Amino acid sequence: MQQIRRFTPIQRGFHLILMLTFVIQSATGLARMYVGTGWGKQLTDLFGGYPNTLTIHKWVGLLMLFAFIIHLIYILATINWRGLPGSIYGPDSLIPRLEDIGQSIRHVGWILGLNGPPRFDRWAYWEKFDYWAVFWGICLLGGTGLILYNPVISSRFIPGWALNVLLWIHRIEATLAMAHVFLIHFFIGHLRRENFPMDLVMFEGGIDLEKARHERPDWVERMENEGALQNVLVAKSTLSLRVIYHVFGFAIVIGCLYLLVNAFLNAHRLMG
Amino acid sequence: MTEVILHKPFARLRFTRGARIWTVAIVLALSAVFIPAVWAQKEVTSKTYRSREREKSTGRYEQYEAKPRLYQPHIRDPRPRAELITLAPTAEKVRFRKYLADSHVGLRFYERRTCVSCHPQQARSLHAVRAKITCRQCHGDEPIAGNSHYNSLMHKRRKYAFVCAKCHKGSSPSFATYRIHEPSPLSLTTQKTFPVLFYAFWFMVVLAVGTFAAFIPHTLSWGLREFLPPTFRLEIRRYLPGKKKNNAAD
Repeated sequence: MQQIRRFTPIQRGFHLILMLTFVIQSATGLARMYVGTGWGKQLTDLFGGYPNTLTIHKWVGLLMLFAFIIHLIYILATINWRGLPGSIYGPDSLIPRLEDIGQSIRHVGWILGLNGPPRFDRWAYWEKFDYWAVFWGICLLGGTGLILYNPVISSRFIPGWALNVLLWIHRIEATLAMAHVFLIHFFIGHLRRENFPMDLVMFEGGIDLEKARHERPDWVERMENEGALQNVLVAKSTLSLRVIYHVFGFAIVIGCLYLLVNAFLNAHRLMG
Repeated sequence: MTEVILHKPFARLRFTRGARIWTVAIVLALSAVFIPAVWAQKEVTSKTYRSREREKSTGRYEQYEAKPRLYQPHIRDPRPRAELITLAPTAEKVRFRKYLADSHVGLRFYERRTCVSCHPQQARSLHAVRAKITCRQCHGDEPIAGNSHYNSLMHKRRKYAFVCAKCHKGSSPSFATYRIHEPSPLSLTTQKTFPVLFYAFWFMVVLAVGTFAAFIPHTLSWGLREFLPPTFRLEIRRYLPGKKKNNAAD
């Protein structure tokens, strides 16, 4: 079966780094937050105790920020500067467009059985939301995390009481990010009927042509009209690779759901 | 009678046997009083011995609380000064204690209480929960001065140097304004005592709740929709007024 390429190897690499760093940050962050509970202590023991957990959280956070800067450079390098503004506002761009509002309304209408399904192009509105939510999240979490990285130095430039405020912002934004990724992103990406048990597009890079015609008809038609479809057709990955992708993906999903469920069950202990 | 003749400059002193016996007896009697008390310090662990010999040398502070003082400390005039503090009728007792050399003076049954029994919220700070720091490591030994007393190490003018810097080397007066015992951002009183924290917290909570209020129903209904046939249509028009007749005719 032929596939149409949605993500380049570099983009998949970015997602892989983001995924791994996010999972580590989630585990170490929850371990720190819940260290007063039995579950939190078990988590910190996994990382070699509370001080090591804090160290890992800080270093992986720096790695995450470094990858984000590389991503920004990648964006700037891949923009077609001569074709502005059309090049960053076209259907291949993740910049939100007015059409996205109409498509989201039509999609909700389709969910409720009021109208037919919308005709998506390469990026649907929820995918753009996910991308910009991560963008905003890294800016906020990275910014507050960087200030909290060394509070003694930071307090030379900002008042010490601001650290109280920044820590709460960091916590709530991290909780929001984890809950959104573990509940909504995983469900849409892997657990809904059409993608169950796992959507491998972010590992393989391609999506089945027939599935693309069904889910994103405007994209496939546009490629056919431009005569560019043949250029983006790729072969499906081998069976062994697909097995590895499944095992890896399930491990991440199950691990993250374990964190989410335990965080929820132990939340009352945080209140004391 | 045998006499002991001492060398110069005590040559003129002469001790009889009786004097020697009495001297030895007195020394033994005094030893009987004081030596066991000195030995017993290891068992009783007076706060001075514990602090000097163990905690400060090892850096390992014990979990139990400070013993109550054995003497009445110097007390600054406990009457609040009108020009320094504004007293609310209900907060008067608490507020003026912040200015005392011994902030716990006069409390009944103080020697039978622990810090946490009267200050349970303060034991939930990040310093206590995560770093396992005991009250005494920051607030010092008895008598514990009020934070606003001019000699207190916890006074904001010197806290950063005498308290914070023990662990956070290089801390500054700005750093010392970090609220270790921060008020709960959920509480309405925080709106007055720490408004920036209160509003930042609720802004983030509204942002999070708003995100989930939009996306959780959207995602769940989408998941359910995919179990319905692709041709599924909710025939609202059938239930609209004026359409019933047509439907019936059909």
